[in-house]
Amino acid sequence: MTRQQTIRRIPLGVLALVLALGCNASHTDASRAREGAPAADKAPPLAIVSESHIAAGGALPAGATLTNPYAGDSAAATAGAALFTSMNCDGCHGGGATGWVGPSLADGRWRYGGSASEIFTSIYYGRRYGMPAFGGLMPKAGIWRIVTYLQSLTLPNDVPTESWK
Amino acid sequence: MTRFHLTSVLMTVVCLTAGTWATVTIVPGRAAGARATPTPVDDGDWTMPGKNYASTRYSGLSEITPANVGHLHPVWTFSTGVLGGHEGQPLVVHNTMYVVTPYPNTLYAFDLSQPDYPLKWKYRPAVSPNAVGVACCDAVNRGAFYADGKILYNLLDGHTVALDAATGRQLWETTIADVANGETTPIAPFVVKNRVLVGASGGEFGIHGWVKALDLQTGRVAWTGYNMGPDSALLAKPGVFKPYYDHESQLGVSTWPKDAWQIGGAPVWGWMSYDSTLDLVYYGTGNPAPYNPEQRAGDNKWTTSVMARRPEDGSLVWAYQFTPHDSWDFDATAGMILVDLPVAGKLRKVLVHFDKNGFAYTIDRATGQVLVAQPFVDVNWAKRIDLTTGRPVVDSSKLTGVSRGNVKDICPTLEGGTSPASPVAYSPRTHLFYVSTNNMCMDYQATQTAHIRGTPYIGANSPYYAGPGGYMGAFEAWDASVGRVVWTIKERYPVWSGAVATAGDVVFYGTLDGWMRAADARTGKVLWSFKVGSGVVGNPIVYRGPDGKQYLAVYAGIGGDWFLLAGDVGSDDPADVRPPADFVKDLARHTSRGGLVWIFAL
Repeated sequence: MTRQQTIRRIPLGVLALVLALGCNASHTDASRAREGAPAADKAPPLAIVSESHIAAGGALPAGATLTNPYAGDSAAATAGAALFTSMNCDGCHGGGATGWVGPSLADGRWRYGGSASEIFTSIYYGRRYGMPAFGGLMPKAGIWRIVTYLQSLTLPNDVPTESWK
Repeated sequence: MTRFHLTSVLMTVVCLTAGTWATVTIVPGRAAGARATPTPVDDGDWTMPGKNYASTRYSGLSEITPANVGHLHPVWTFSTGVLGGHEGQPLVVHNTMYVVTPYPNTLYAFDLSQPDYPLKWKYRPAVSPNAVGVACCDAVNRGAFYADGKILYNLLDGHTVALDAATGRQLWETTIADVANGETTPIAPFVVKNRVLVGASGGEFGIHGWVKALDLQTGRVAWTGYNMGPDSALLAKPGVFKPYYDHESQLGVSTWPKDAWQIGGAPVWGWMSYDSTLDLVYYGTGNPAPYNPEQRAGDNKWTTSVMARRPEDGSLVWAYQFTPHDSWDFDATAGMILVDLPVAGKLRKVLVHFDKNGFAYTIDRATGQVLVAQPFVDVNWAKRIDLTTGRPVVDSSKLTGVSRGNVKDICPTLEGGTSPASPVAYSPRTHLFYVSTNNMCMDYQATQTAHIRGTPYIGANSPYYAGPGGYMGAFEAWDASVGRVVWTIKERYPVWSGAVATAGDVVFYGTLDGWMRAADARTGKVLWSFKVGSGVVGNPIVYRGPDGKQYLAVYAGIGGDWFLLAGDVGSDDPADVRPPADFVKDLARHTSRGGLVWIFAL
């Protein structure tokens, strides 16, 4: 598995995980090769590895499924709003997610994609330029609630045009 | 709210030591009785951020005067290639100009001896993009320092680098801070003898603030002095540490609940000064964490303080806290300018400091005794500073905390009466200090917050609005012998640039909407303005070129706190579109982000 992937920098924990899985995979491949079967890479791709990201709390998250169990659930959106504050998201993204140090999440525009699974991935694994990986710190359900909250925000009437009289 | 500005010409000054009353007549523009300090021969270079160890940002060059500054024109400009707040200042050493950019912290070395100032070299460090999201207030850099044939500066991600100034080759690199902890390092290093002093930002991330000294030749950490914790961590030794007002031991623990000091902030991100006779380095510490003060009862020493340390071993000799139990984010990281000034008829060796809290202090730099403390902007969180105790007399209706709800109408805002990133200049000819100020007030609503390592530890919402008079900033001249404003240039927006003073009696500063200005140092008359393409949040310098002429150099590139506060000035990320801020609705009409180096001459 590791032989067939280009990974520039691998934090130690992930490397250990990868080596453990890789050892199993190569053992299986070797036995298949002896039997004459193609040594196909059947293992799923590694969880997304940003070149570098902060793992909030110091722990790196494992893989996750990407369907929002709370899609359209307004109670979950309300809970997500509370989590947005209690997990200090507003400290970087501003109150109401309108932007501060981190970009606005309330303008309908997304650096890394605005689908539920893309927003989840950004929060769970972190992103370049300092978005921490919260998947190591909070349960997936909490992250999905934040996703639901962000997707429930009402966009301003006119995002693109700013004019002055 | 009360106006503190003293505008009368005839003043009564209390003589603190002898208890007698003396009357001093102040002529606007000149402090009476000031000894004409002989100006050292100015070699025309600018080798350290504050120009000299006293941090006066004063150039002895006098070719540019009020009579001819109207003819100042641009001779060269260079795009740094980076969009971001261009704080800090260039250096000029031996006909080479050194420019550090905001993240990714490229360093350019321009050859001033050739007509088009081509690059000699540029240094492009490997710096982690993680640091950008952990830098609270834009990915700025506050400059480099030249010493012993080396250029030293900090990368945002917690590394100090030393380069050969002639070739740009890296000599050493030392990790000093941990981004995962919420630490970043935009500060300019400060080199004294063989010690490179550095500090970390992160008051918004609940760091445990410190200053480190690296060995100039090897980069190895020689000592670490924390700003709070047990005396041993502070390097506060019995018999050596003698603060003027506070005499108990272990104040870095006893003025905090339990272990709150371990995540208590006190970042070091401003400017340092050095007195070689006293052998003391002076620097200010930043805000306590979190912004909600009810989570940290006590004075929270030594946040929002000035510290005086010996550079060789870091021993803490004295400390003074400007804002005990700070409830308004009043970082004390603004510069400490070391001058000899008459106070109450006697010449005193002082440091002068314009604090975010709105008071300007004149302090005996040997002992830490406060001699003068007067507001230089509108202030209402405190009525005055009690010179007997050194403590502010706080207006309890302006205290903040979760239990107090939304506290309205506090002046100044948490941007400060002046931003510490906008350093002051002093002229030994006029004996005046030149200060970029903000005229803004705020509401402040504290919220409960939890410390999660690597994430913001804040707990407050604080919208701003213009202060009395409706203008949002001013460039002022200040007499620190008595504590009064001598002249004021009002500006539409907060003034966020540094200042430079010259022997030609011209002072320079820049505005947030992108104007570089020259003013008469004695009268405050604006004599020249030039639009530099983006707001000025950096510090102008003055130097002598190889042709013997006097030059002015400055960065243009709005940012710093304004990257956060006026997000609609950003135009480079389609995924980050922000509405205008309520209190600066039209700033984006006059500027957007940029990155330019400008050089002007007659």
